[in-house]
Amino acid sequence: MNHASLILRHREKLAAWTMVAPALLVTMLFALYPVLDSLWLSLHNIYIGLPQLGSPFIGPDNYLTLVRDPVAQQALAVTLAFVVLSTLLELSCGLIIALVIHERFRGRGLVRAAILIPWAIPTVVASQLWRYIFNDQYGYANLLLFGEHVTDYVPWLAYPGVAFGIVVLADVWKTSSFAALLILAGLQVIPDDLYDAARVDGATAWQRFWHITLPLLKPALLLALLFRTMDAFRVFDLVFVMTQGGPGDATQVLQFYGYQTLFTEGRIGYGSAVSVAVFLMILALSLTYLRAIGSSLLERRQP
Amino acid sequence: MRRIVRAFFTYSCLQSVPRHPSRGSHQRHRRAALLLAWLVLFGPPLNDSIAGEPAAPPKRQTASITLRFVSWKPDHPRVWDEALAEFTKTHPDISVVRELAPHSSTAYHDLLTQKLKNRDATVDVFFMDVIWVPEFAEAGWARRLDERFTPALREEFLPATIEVGRYADHFYGVPSRIDAGLLYYRSDLLTKYGFPPPTTWDELARQAETIVEGEQPRNPTLRGYTAQFKQYEGLVCNMLEFIDSHGGSLLTADGTHSALAKPEALAAVQFVRDRVIGRLASRAALTYQEPESLSVFLQGHAVFHRNWPYAWELANNQTRSTVAGQVAVMPLPGFTPGRTTAALGGWLYGISAYSQHPDEAWALIEFLSSQAMQKKFTQEAGIAPSRQSLFSDPDLLAAAPQLRNHFAVLRSATARPRSPLYPAISHALQRYFSRALAIDDLDLAHEATVADAQINRLLSLTEPVP
Repeated sequence: MNHASLILRHREKLAAWTMVAPALLVTMLFALYPVLDSLWLSLHNIYIGLPQLGSPFIGPDNYLTLVRDPVAQQALAVTLAFVVLSTLLELSCGLIIALVIHERFRGRGLVRAAILIPWAIPTVVASQLWRYIFNDQYGYANLLLFGEHVTDYVPWLAYPGVAFGIVVLADVWKTSSFAALLILAGLQVIPDDLYDAARVDGATAWQRFWHITLPLLKPALLLALLFRTMDAFRVFDLVFVMTQGGPGDATQVLQFYGYQTLFTEGRIGYGSAVSVAVFLMILALSLTYLRAIGSSLLERRQP
Repeated sequence: MRRIVRAFFTYSCLQSVPRHPSRGSHQRHRRAALLLAWLVLFGPPLNDSIAGEPAAPPKRQTASITLRFVSWKPDHPRVWDEALAEFTKTHPDISVVRELAPHSSTAYHDLLTQKLKNRDATVDVFFMDVIWVPEFAEAGWARRLDERFTPALREEFLPATIEVGRYADHFYGVPSRIDAGLLYYRSDLLTKYGFPPPTTWDELARQAETIVEGEQPRNPTLRGYTAQFKQYEGLVCNMLEFIDSHGGSLLTADGTHSALAKPEALAAVQFVRDRVIGRLASRAALTYQEPESLSVFLQGHAVFHRNWPYAWELANNQTRSTVAGQVAVMPLPGFTPGRTTAALGGWLYGISAYSQHPDEAWALIEFLSSQAMQKKFTQEAGIAPSRQSLFSDPDLLAAAPQLRNHFAVLRSATARPRSPLYPAISHALQRYFSRALAIDDLDLAHEATVADAQINRLLSLTEPVP
């Protein structure tokens, strides 16, 4: 390699760094710094209402308390149940929606656009909507089920299990279309020849779906799974608007617990520990998924 | 931060200038762009009026001061607008900018404390819920008003409202309004069935049962009682009333320990769980805050209703209420005749420790808490005043006769636990109460012990508040 090309290389490198620098800077400033700062805060004991306690460094104490905290355990259980239920339902609904809007039919463009509407509505608005639907007195759910028999009206959100189910339902309604969008993209890259060949071999529609569509959709499904799990893990607004964690902590999720300890109770150290714990769980999950996605992509490349 | 954005903007703008054919000139161009960006980033500050922010206007002869008043969204915005307009008229050198925060006490707390945590100097005057004073005092957010709020001035207010604004012998809040739990009831229905106003919960339950049964054909959705049992701050107030009037309390008398597992407190919770939720009141009450429970009453679906003084005006408002004129109000019942408890609520004006204009802020507070303004708020917004003399003001009593009934209740209302960690204590209480009421087959005694332990741990971090 001669001298001139070395310089050119050097210059190119410099240019590249200059170009990515703003993005890197912004990422560091708004993503990395807050995470590290939360981590640092979570190692201290800070009560905003008790400044005379100072902010002593207490090492992992907050995490040890967190592991034994019955409220956090309950919140973790609720969060995990929410993640598993909502993600499974969203992927199933998303797959069905995607298969439908992948077909050619009259008005497909309109249907495709309509399906995206729930996803486009801000979560706070959607939550308020669902809260109204399940209102005990003028809710649409009651009207639909019982009509004029007002004495039969059910206070849905007053039952712990039902309230939890409604929060899941609201999330499924809102984000299935997002899963559908990702899966639709996956459907569109499956070559038609495969189906033609299968048809020639006499495969039924179900066999075609089971042996062609589903295996080839795996990367898209995994991607949708990754996004949905991460999102479900940090569910907050639905709970904040619809139930405030109630009744009886039935919808108390980790993120809402973290918010309460941080912002309402002013327990900065402990609240940070809660949010760092959520962050670590999401990180671990996404790394696992990414590995799975990576290997599934590799499998496809093998002849 | 603005600088970084500007520098980046400068750089990218200059970068996007059409390229020159010769490579050398392009290189020079880029270097010039980089240089400029660095200049913007680290060089002397640009004149702000050029770069987007308006420059400070030239000083006039009379220095005008802008006060920032962080308030919740009021129920009667017109009354507040008028009050502030009048203040500006009498104080031409002070203009007041109001920042409206959510109506809910907790949401307002979170927004306000977020500003105060950041030592935001653009907050001058704010409201404090009566439960926040220890927290605001300890955290150093609220200014001490000892010198301004003189003993002579303090005498003019109801003692309970002065007490909640005090913390460790210093005064932090000027009472704006007082709240206490009251029992509203359908006077027409009680008269129809020949019942006197109930003094005990048992009596109330019996009356409600008879009335609901009797009214069944005409009003099948009628229930005996409606109140606030959602998992939120109001649940603590409602349960405090049941527990205290049953001879129990939330904390021990010295304020050092939680007392939820004591038999009296347990029995009161048991009563609400077995006799109120799903029986006397619809199970839907587990999802009710004040507005939802009030609307049930206003639509004529409840015989009895627990709420704060503000509900009086709405209950008798012909356009908002279907039961206007058929509503009466009295102290909440107890478990034995004569023993009644009302939870103390209400709002105080405070001055931020980071305010640059404490004198002007004090002028605003003095104005808003004056006799004349409290009278206006009582008459037009239906809230209960905190000044003692207004309860015997003939004008006001003529316009708001219910005040006569309120007075005894307001004067003897019971405060919630006083601690700088109250928000955390409240969450533990809300959790316990909501679980106790909403989850079937829950071991109450065990839950109470768990909640006691959580609250005791919080209480151990501070000295008991005198």
